[in-house]
Amino acid sequence: MTAYTLDVYMPVIILMSLAVGLVLVSVFFAQILRPFKPSSLKEQAYECGEDPVGTAWSNFNVRFYVVSLIFIVFDVEGALMFPVAAIFRKFVAIGEGAVLVGSLLVFISVLVFGIIYCWSKGDLDWVRSFQLSDEQVNQLKGIEEKA
Amino acid sequence: MSPSLNEYLNQFEGHQKVIATVTEVLGFDATGLMTFIVFFTGAFVVVNVMALVGGLGTYAERKISADIQLRQGPNRVGPYGLLQFLADGVKMIMKEDIFPAQADKTLFNLAPLLALIGVFATLAVVPFSSGLTLANLNVGVFYLIGVSSLVGVAVFLGGYSANSKWSMLGGMRGASQIISYEVPVTISILTIVLISGGMSFGSFVGGQGGFPHEWYIFHNPFTFIGFFVFFVGMLAETNRAPFDLPEAESELVSGYHTEYTGMRFGLFALAEYIEVFVLCGVAAAAFLGGYRVPFNLGDGVVFVEKLGLPPIIGKNIGQVLQLGAFLTKTLFLYYVVIWVRWTFPRIRVDQVMTICWKYLTPLALFNLVGVTIWVFAFDGHSIWDVLGHMLSSGSGGGHH
Amino acid sequence: MFENTLFFLSATLTIVGAAGVVFSKNLMHACVLLLGSLFGIAGLYATIGADFLAASQLVIYAGGVVILMLFAVMLTGGSADSSNKFGIEKIPGMGSTKTYVIAGFSVLVISFTILKLMANFMKSYKAGELPAFSSTVEEIGTLLVTDHVLAFEISSILLLGALVGAAVIARPRKG
Repeated sequence: MTAYTLDVYMPVIILMSLAVGLVLVSVFFAQILRPFKPSSLKEQAYECGEDPVGTAWSNFNVRFYVVSLIFIVFDVEGALMFPVAAIFRKFVAIGEGAVLVGSLLVFISVLVFGIIYCWSKGDLDWVRSFQLSDEQVNQLKGIEEKA
Repeated sequence: MSPSLNEYLNQFEGHQKVIATVTEVLGFDATGLMTFIVFFTGAFVVVNVMALVGGLGTYAERKISADIQLRQGPNRVGPYGLLQFLADGVKMIMKEDIFPAQADKTLFNLAPLLALIGVFATLAVVPFSSGLTLANLNVGVFYLIGVSSLVGVAVFLGGYSANSKWSMLGGMRGASQIISYEVPVTISILTIVLISGGMSFGSFVGGQGGFPHEWYIFHNPFTFIGFFVFFVGMLAETNRAPFDLPEAESELVSGYHTEYTGMRFGLFALAEYIEVFVLCGVAAAAFLGGYRVPFNLGDGVVFVEKLGLPPIIGKNIGQVLQLGAFLTKTLFLYYVVIWVRWTFPRIRVDQVMTICWKYLTPLALFNLVGVTIWVFAFDGHSIWDVLGHMLSSGSGGGHH
Repeated sequence: MFENTLFFLSATLTIVGAAGVVFSKNLMHACVLLLGSLFGIAGLYATIGADFLAASQLVIYAGGVVILMLFAVMLTGGSADSSNKFGIEKIPGMGSTKTYVIAGFSVLVISFTILKLMANFMKSYKAGELPAFSSTVEEIGTLLVTDHVLAFEISSILLLGALVGAAVIARPRKG
């Protein structure tokens, strides 16, 4: 194996700066060529012709947060398993594969258990159905009868 | 096999001579400078070709959709309407750029930039051919997963910063969809890492051969399923139909880029089309043999031996063949992506999450366990090796 | 040459990002600046040859944690105003003279202590004194399944705990 130099990261930096350059150049040219006649109507948020009421920055449903929490758990799991997966073939080749299969399977099965738990409790449902208490059911019935 | 573009060029005498001359003229060691020039030229060419591919992607999208719906599609600008994308580009530059009054201006400007940085950074590790890989990082595919997640942040910020309700909904949906589908995609890639024993694209492609039976997709039954898990996850990560909920035009107007006009919108679109190409390239490299050409034509030795060509030409013919093989596979997948878009109806937002967490992720985990046991049990051999071995030992009675 | 460029770019990004997080009064801007800072740290890891650590930094922090934070900010409404709809300041002002003096003094004391402790390790290596960088992935993988296999397995339990905890917290309360 050849000595590892940091030059391998050079294309990464170059590509990122090219992205920045492309944005600057195209926005700059657009700035010169395009018309610029702002008006309060143009700058309104588009809501299919209605006047927008209030801002869009409102409290969002917690389920987005839960999804990203579950995602992070799997992300970290992946990050831990990648190096182990990368050396798996070599361990199999020297006859030590059983150790790795064992530890990988234990690792995966613990997480599978987590998925099964979340699934059975309904946390993976986007639209959640939840059981109303008897009191609430009676209340709803009362409203229906009045109507 | 040469790890990157620079090292590929270094094996030629001509390139060495150029470095020596430049060193003499400038009076200091020019190796670093030449490395920079080589990489910069390479990156510049790749970026321009990718921009062209992105532009032609929009053309292909419209032409193929027209084909599927028995229409003509763009046919006015240039031959067969081929220059339509240039006309679109000019239009986008000339369009007035409108900032929503209530927007967060900094983030509004930053979002397309982030998307483009994320997508361009992934180009560094795409293995176009064994010589034309900008950086064969040891952690190649893991790096790709990391930088492409910038696109998720960009989608969210694009939706958030405009302060429009449609954008906000699109951005939230987009970000949660992109991160959710990263889970099955990552686990599918993990199975390939298990088989190939390395995380760089060089080792992915190096472990495969030119013929379909040597590809990882046909390596064993689990990778066959894994390919489709990856492909579906890829569609969702790039917001392609049937997973185009973040920009669902019939319910969210245009999703996270509703308020974007002119060039900023164009940059988002460009980033999206290039990302589709890159992920198709990853699928081709990881599952479909990448740049491998049958009969080992890719390394060019055959041309030197059989046709008596000088090694330098033989090598370069091999590179062109490899590039052709890679592009054929990638563009075929690109076609399939467009085909899928115009064939399937959009799914509902709760179905998106159900498909990811209740079908693809368990399936991907099942594949992971399956591949682990397969590699352990059969010592990393493919199903064809195993079958061949069984047949020969069954009929031949122990030739080994 | 390029090593220095990479280092200075990453270090600048890290420091500017981190300073921006502290001084920004807009939560969303702070999140984005944090993303920049985390990217810079990934670059710093890359500079010292820890390629796997750099990629993990990108995957976990830039991809996961920043999105998580953005969603968490959206739980609060995420508006640019520094006070919420009840008129309560989301980010209380901390910039009084007293706090600056105390903070400056404690930074001095802490950094002197750390420098004193670190002085022994702060040795600059000449080129060739350290072994040539090769892939750290395989070393990490080997260590994870040999010497540190217990940590590897227990981390899965930790992740399980995080998963269950996240699910339980977010569950709608009945009644």
